Amino acid sequence: MQPVVQFDNVTKSYGKHVAVENLNLSIEAGKFVTLLGPSGCGKSTSLRMLGGFETPNSGRILLGGKDVTRVPPNKRNVNIVFQDYALFPHMSIAKNIAFGLELKGFDNQHIHRRVSELLELVQLQDYAKRLPSELSGGQRQRVALMRALAPDPEVLLLDEPLSALDAKLRQQMQIELKSIQEKTGKTFMFVTHDQEEALTMSDTIVVMNKGRIEQMGDPNTLYGRPGSVFVANFIGETNLLRSTVVGTEGDQAALNWNGVTIKAAQGGLTPKAGDHLYVVLRPEAIHCSAAEPESGNRIKGKIRQRVFKGNHTSLSVEVGDGTMLNALVHPADVSQLNGEEIWVGWKPETTTVIPDRHAHN
Amino acid sequence: MRNMFADAPRTSLTAIYWAFLLYLLLPLTLMMAMSFKDANFVAFPIGDWTLDWYAKVMQDKQFLEACLYSVMIAAASTLAATTLGTWIAMLIVAEGIKGQVIIFALACLPAVVPGMISAISLRIFISTIDMPTGTAAIILGHTVHAVPFVVVMALTRLRSMPGNLVDAARDLGADSIVAFFRVTLPYLGPALVGGMIFCVLLSIDDFVRTFFLGGYRPTLPMLIFAKVQGGMSPEINAMATLVLVVTAAVGLYAEYMTRRARTR
Repeated sequence: MQPVVQFDNVTKSYGKHVAVENLNLSIEAGKFVTLLGPSGCGKSTSLRMLGGFETPNSGRILLGGKDVTRVPPNKRNVNIVFQDYALFPHMSIAKNIAFGLELKGFDNQHIHRRVSELLELVQLQDYAKRLPSELSGGQRQRVALMRALAPDPEVLLLDEPLSALDAKLRQQMQIELKSIQEKTGKTFMFVTHDQEEALTMSDTIVVMNKGRIEQMGDPNTLYGRPGSVFVANFIGETNLLRSTVVGTEGDQAALNWNGVTIKAAQGGLTPKAGDHLYVVLRPEAIHCSAAEPESGNRIKGKIRQRVFKGNHTSLSVEVGDGTMLNALVHPADVSQLNGEEIWVGWKPETTTVIPDRHAHN
Repeated sequence: MRNMFADAPRTSLTAIYWAFLLYLLLPLTLMMAMSFKDANFVAFPIGDWTLDWYAKVMQDKQFLEACLYSVMIAAASTLAATTLGTWIAMLIVAEGIKGQVIIFALACLPAVVPGMISAISLRIFISTIDMPTGTAAIILGHTVHAVPFVVVMALTRLRSMPGNLVDAARDLGADSIVAFFRVTLPYLGPALVGGMIFCVLLSIDDFVRTFFLGGYRPTLPMLIFAKVQGGMSPEINAMATLVLVVTAAVGLYAEYMTRRARTR
């Protein structure tokens, strides 16, 4: 199937600063795709290039198979939901939503019908005549979304639209956004620095760093099998154990970490003895116990800090030469861990390994 | 016990305030009072009261014509100054234009050049280009004087405008001209209305530029000036009172509009 959006070797730089470097990205129609990365990673620049507000220095951008690299924003069939909504303050909610439809030359009857249909979709029928300043943050967010959806764009671009909302509303809007995307079947390209938002809503996450794609995949893959230290650190909390390969057994590798032998799933790599690897150990994969576990990986450690988080307790456990491991413990298990000395254990298949790039260079 | 002088700075401040108000309002009050005096010369005691002077003013063809002429000049110069001022303000905030500081400085210059100097230079200018004195020249002079005020008001409002409003309009299919008329201009609206009223007041009030650039047809200030030279009479007081009341009302409305623009 023809991808709806294609970035073909796109580079954008401002003076000496390269914002986006040789970006190659295809987006399938009807998907919720998230560009995720820290500020300055090039995600917003990519979105603005697709919107037509920035022109690449080189490369092409295709929309529905057509080259739109140099087409001005008003002639592209994409719409943006801006970070601070950018609702027109002097127009009513209905007028805001109708703006794009009017410019497309639809007749009044059609516009009226479409506007009420969209207002109904987000349950704002009663607010049609109000001004944006009379609405709450969440309501403005919905109006901005409907205004961008109204002209029926090929792709809807969302530029960190949830960052201005408080935590509770943000979670609610994540679910609502996802459901609107599913209802309308539109392609959403969402830009955020918030990994939780990305994990909650996306079909595909594109992790960007320093103007390049670091890794791309569905949320499960990115969380379970991060391809680089950057991705492992950026998505979710993680413990990284830098180890040396001793040998392999089946699909597992035996590694030496500070004199302790641990096993880990190979994660698609073919490690050789002597290679340096990072073992990715998620806090929730760790099982803490007072007695030594009978199987799996195990290390002796000392509890240095306990942080109560309601539905779980977060433990900082010092192992070996002062390395701190972060572990999540279920409330029922905390009571057994009275003493300072405990065992940290985990199953080899719950971890994966990442090559240590510096060791190869 | 409290020191009775502890409040002295405060008391003196209040006293100065009231003295200032008195100084401000007393001459105006006297002028207004005299316009109701039933006698031919301006002096105390007032004795009998009358509205005859107002009736006379309202039947004075010269006065009515001068009013109309002033209003026409004000309207024309305001329209020109608002268009020019808005355009200059847009230029100053636009991206990728060099010398924006210089444009701003030049745009503001007419506001600080003394009226007399400005009037003389404009007079020399129009005679150099063979432009006759009269309506067109006056409008030109008033426009130049009013532009800086529009620029400053429009600029203040433009700087508070979220940068992505125009982006949003462009994104939804508006070209830059449609985006200007449907988004930027309505956003500027309150500031422009305030600026326009200010322009009108500046134009109506202007004497020096009009004096140097005008022809034989008198504007309102010129007419009053000519009448005063022929001796004070309560009729002039009545005229001045009418002008004062109308301009004060317009000025207060302008202040209200700009205040609303700032809080919205």
